[in-house]
This record gives sequence, C-alpha cells and structure tokens, in this order.
Amino acid sequence: MKIIFRLVMLTALVALGVWLWTVLFPNPEKVIHKRLVALAGTVSFSSNQSNLARLAGVQNLGDFFSADVEVDIDVPGRVQERLMSRQEIVQAAVGARSAVRGLKVKFSDINITVAPDKQSAVADLTVEARVSGQQDLIVQEMKFTLQKTDGKWLVTRIATVRTLSILHFEPPRFPSIVLI
Amino acid sequence: MTAQNQTARTLRLPDWLRIALVGRNLKFTLTRIVVLVATCFVVFNFILLPVRIEGGSMLPTYKERSVNFVNRLAYLRHGPQHGDVVGLRLAGPHVMYMKRVIGLPGETVAFVNGHVLIDDKVLDEPYEKYNCDWNLPPVKLGADEYYVVGDNRTMPPQYHEHGVASRDRILGKLLL
Repeated sequence: MKIIFRLVMLTALVALGVWLWTVLFPNPEKVIHKRLVALAGTVSFSSNQSNLARLAGVQNLGDFFSADVEVDIDVPGRVQERLMSRQEIVQAAVGARSAVRGLKVKFSDINITVAPDKQSAVADLTVEARVSGQQDLIVQEMKFTLQKTDGKWLVTRIATVRTLSILHFEPPRFPSIVLI
Repeated sequence: MTAQNQTARTLRLPDWLRIALVGRNLKFTLTRIVVLVATCFVVFNFILLPVRIEGGSMLPTYKERSVNFVNRLAYLRHGPQHGDVVGLRLAGPHVMYMKRVIGLPGETVAFVNGHVLIDDKVLDEPYEKYNCDWNLPPVKLGADEYYVVGDNRTMPPQYHEHGVASRDRILGKLLL
C-alpha cells in the first residue's frame, strides 16, 4: 500500500514538474501561436470602441512588428497593399479605423515552423476577417515570417499565399516569317 | 426502516422517468453513449467534415449559410472528376473554399464568351444557371493540378476566386 502511495506521489510530482517546465519555458511554437492570436485581437476593433481605446490598439500594434517589416498583401479584386516599415503599418491601421466602423480578425489553422537555431520562424495561417456592415467573410491564406529580437518574436514579413494560382498558358506559335 | 432509507425512497424517480433518462440498464446506456460520442468524434473530424457555407460563389447550387459535409473518403479510389464540388483547404481544414472541378490534370482550360473549353471542346455545365461572359486565355494543367471555379460567374473573373489547385489542397467531395 505504501509503495502504491509513493508511486502515485512520484507520478504526481513528475507531472507537476513537467507542467511547471512548460509554463516557465514554453516552446517557441506555443509562444508564437499566442503572439499571433494576440496580434489578431489587436488588429480587430469594434464600432462601439472609444477613440482612446482605438488609439491604444493602434499603438500596441507596433509592438508586434520589427522596424523594417515588409507587408505584401495582394488579394485580387480586394486589396493590393505594400507596406515597408512599422510606421507605415501603424498609419495604415489608423486609416482603417477611420474608414470602417469595425473589423474582426481571426487567425485559423496556424502552422508554425521554427528554424533549427530557434531564432526565426514561419507561420502559415488563414486570416478570417469580417468588416462591420458587410456580409461577406474575407478569407486569405498568409505567410508570416518572425524573428526573435531581444527575447520577443517580431513579425518581419507578411505575404499573401495564392491558394488558387492562374498561370496562363500561351499556345505555341508558328515561327515568325522574316521577309528579306 | 431507517430515516436514510426513507429519504432514498422518496427521492427515487418513477420507473418510466428513470427508463427515459438512463434506460433499463445504466451500464448499457453508458456504453452506448461512449460508443456514440467516439463514433461522432471520428466521423465528423476525419471522414465527414461539417461545413457552413459563407459567400455566394456557388449560387444557385449552394445557398449561403447552408450546412453540408465534405467526404474525405470520396477520392480514395479515384481522383476528382469534371463537375465534382470539392472542399479545398487554405492553411488547414478549418476554413476551406468550396469550388467545382472543371479541369483535370493534363487538360487545357479556357473561358470563351462564358463557356468553358476543355482542350478546345465546350464543357457541358447543366449546373451553370447564370449568364457568364468571361474570356480567359488557356491554362495548361500539370500532372497533379485541377482547375476549380464557383458556379456563380456573374461577377468579373478578378472578383471570383478560381484557378489551379494542386491535388493536396482538395480535402474531399461535397456530400449533399
């Protein structure tokens, strides 16, 4: 009986140790996942939010990106935007907050690949966005590149991924006739 | 009779209610519940993925906010065929595009005055109810590529998500 009790206690202690280890030293995938979810929350804003809260949201947004972040968004028929710095992202966010009443952004299917040196990572995810007053849900697959800087994972590049590609095929032409 | 027994008797449910709630045999009922939950978990996570349709790109065949299932076992023995409506994953299976397959590997797909041409032959599309005036140059599909498009082609092509999808993006065929 005593042995069983000791075994149970030992198992519980090991489990507690493992849990503590994961809390104190979380793996990079978990940290990046949490950070991306927080980014989606910061990008989102509602129509009933005060101007002060909106301003705070915009200022917090800058903390997620490196100073020389590159954003290349190309959604045919919807958005075509190229931003080259953190400052430009913040300005774009201010513009978006004044242009639309509300925006709800969610990142789904976040697939994170951390480089062997654990200093950079790539996250492939699906962005779901809904603009207040618009019925259509915007979905877009995107690739985020992140870099660990001073212990923080910062986004260094965002690019759209074309789920469906169109490469037009040029039928073979007859060789051009050269008149001499 | 002790006071405890008396309380137990007064709290005991009528037989018909007990049978309705937990069945004639509690052990069997619990087993049935566990089997049902496990079956539902496997079926709806790995075999028939439930989907809620958003957007009007598949109108009039599939209405907005309707519910359907993507059958992940549909293409175990053969690949997608012309006219199949398939679910295409984006970064993962939680959000997917729902499109119709019009071009198969190796074929050349083009749009001329709204008609789909497969290797220069018009594709019969009985599901296509709306007028379409698309003109798109030919696209030659690779060995593992499919051309997918929605049924609602009333908008200009640049506003409609369509194009070439690799086989690994096709999760399955729509069930209903």
